[in-house]
Amino acid sequence: MKRFKPTVSHLSRRTFLQASAALGGASALGLRGAYAQEPEKPAEIIVRAWGGSWVDSLKAGVSDSFTKMTGIAVRHDLTEDNEIQPKVWAAVAQNRVPPIHINWDTTTNATKSALRGVTEDLSDLPNLANVTDLAKPAGLQGFPIVNTYGYVYVLAYRPAAFPDGPPKSWKDLLDPKFKGRLAFYNDGIGFHFPAQVAGGGKLEDIPGNMQPAWDFIAKMKAQQPLLGEDPDFTTWFQNGEIDAACTISTNAREARKNGVKIEWVVPEEGAKFDTDGLWIPKGLPENELYWAKQYINHALTKEAQQVWLDGLGLPGVVPGLTPPKDLVGDPSYPTTEADFKRLIRISSKIQVENESEWFSKFKAIMQG
Amino acid sequence: MRAARTAYPLKWRVMDALEGVAAAIWPARFRRATPYLMLLPAVLLVGLLVLGLIQIADASLRTLDTTTFQFSDNYSIANFRRALTEPLFLVVAQRSLIAALIVTAMTLVFAFPYAYLMVRTRSPGLRKFLLIALFLPFFIGQVVRAYGWLIILGNQGMVNEALGLVGVAPMRLIYNYPAVLFGLVQYMLPFAVLMLAPALTAIPEELEAAAGSLGANWVRTFIHVVLPLARPGFIGAGVVVLTLSLTDFAVPAILGGGSQDFIANAIYDQFFRTSDQGLGATLALMLVALGSILVGLVFALFGAGTLAMGRSRA
Repeated sequence: MKRFKPTVSHLSRRTFLQASAALGGASALGLRGAYAQEPEKPAEIIVRAWGGSWVDSLKAGVSDSFTKMTGIAVRHDLTEDNEIQPKVWAAVAQNRVPPIHINWDTTTNATKSALRGVTEDLSDLPNLANVTDLAKPAGLQGFPIVNTYGYVYVLAYRPAAFPDGPPKSWKDLLDPKFKGRLAFYNDGIGFHFPAQVAGGGKLEDIPGNMQPAWDFIAKMKAQQPLLGEDPDFTTWFQNGEIDAACTISTNAREARKNGVKIEWVVPEEGAKFDTDGLWIPKGLPENELYWAKQYINHALTKEAQQVWLDGLGLPGVVPGLTPPKDLVGDPSYPTTEADFKRLIRISSKIQVENESEWFSKFKAIMQG
Repeated sequence: MRAARTAYPLKWRVMDALEGVAAAIWPARFRRATPYLMLLPAVLLVGLLVLGLIQIADASLRTLDTTTFQFSDNYSIANFRRALTEPLFLVVAQRSLIAALIVTAMTLVFAFPYAYLMVRTRSPGLRKFLLIALFLPFFIGQVVRAYGWLIILGNQGMVNEALGLVGVAPMRLIYNYPAVLFGLVQYMLPFAVLMLAPALTAIPEELEAAAGSLGANWVRTFIHVVLPLARPGFIGAGVVVLTLSLTDFAVPAILGGGSQDFIANAIYDQFFRTSDQGLGATLALMLVALGSILVGLVFALFGAGTLAMGRSRA
């Protein structure tokens, strides 16, 4: 397998908040100039999305206002991102019209599709002039994907299980009292990089030498953690099955909204910062491609981002967004340089090229 | 006079016409081949499966290039080498195989008395009750049943609440290997009972009465008469439960807490999580091979049981 030197960066606030163009310069239907007249509107466009509060936020922030503006209905397809991927790939390979117009995807998964060449180029979206560097997918030519926000894999915990105060380190989870009371993603996503630091290794050694991460994960295996997906974490916290988990802050926030007493921290070793994005599969009819691009362009407006990301509790890619009240000063909603210094970001290219191996390694340890 | 029309009604004329069409399509000289024609739907179905397997075999010989996420044009056995050498796949295969054997044995033990009582009871009410209890789970479905066990056996579930009433602290009853085995046995029980029941029905009650009249107590009758005659049912039920358990996905995924994967879960991961369809196809082929070998062994050692449709092994 070809190896690449890792691009490891602690995000700078200046970079993150940099605005590149005035918002007013771009109209919501800014692609119109490329066409003599507006192409025929489809009856609907289909956007793949995650369920629960994720799709509710997208609907409230982007889809409803898009429909109001254009008259085009938006249907949300809740097929899992991993499961829609082979369907889209097969459709493109067979020159069929893909089953969705827009894929709301993790940047890592979307990068796989971009590398495979099944994504449309989005460089001509006018609102890209107004976004921060975070919107640009690292290591790829142009804009086959547009990142729309960032998120943090925090250490979420039940305060009652930590009477001496919040956990400071991922190592705190090795306390024998947490045996059988922890949870991680079943492929270890979000935990590989902090484990590298907690195991005494360096981020610069990723992916060449990740033995410290595997050694630390092996220690964590002795704690007999539960392994699951996003919805599992909320359920497990609600049912009292776990005391702590490495999960996306949005899931922890959702559990808290549901009445679960839950807090979260970014431990001293850091926490993984990653992005999600939107992309359009190749093979759509011209008019549908145009309106799919309009949807993504609309998702990059300040108004749409503010409502969408208030729901998710995540920092967006348009300057000047106001954090939700409950997340002001929260490390999972990074706004200060100090916040970003504690976060770990590895390039999508390195992640997609090594993900299979990392997943296998994590699974081999946890299934052993 | 209306005789002609009455003597040869319209229906007959239609039938004649249909027969004429049938004779044109399938002439009388092909009559000897007619039974084989009946096999055509099954042959088509199996043919489609074989075509799928050929495609899977082709994919299994191609490796994924993670710089382009395209598959190699040339063939190699790299995926098979990975599947046979990486500890993860060996652990998962071993776990699946052992679970399939344990679940088969336990299910047969539980299914036999149930099927025996259902077949032999003289109470129509009890027989109906047993039948309804048997078929109800079919209507509920595997995933819902597995989630049901999460509710019953969870930390705040009914069982732990009952234990709490007698002062026992909540204990982890799910998300482990025993929970997966338990869920599978519960899921497989109806299949086994349904396969055993015809075999038990075929044992004449008079044989048991004769054994009794010759001085055998119920234990000796059971061991020397009922069990040997029920063997075809055991084999049929055993093969069905063994193959279904070996290839199960949902119960390990839901009741295993993510750490008790079976081969099917590993295949899913390769297809949908790492996008490595080549390796997924390799694991799928190996699972088909493992299942086929196991079933072949059972057939070689014990015959096909009720699956042989009443023909005993020579």
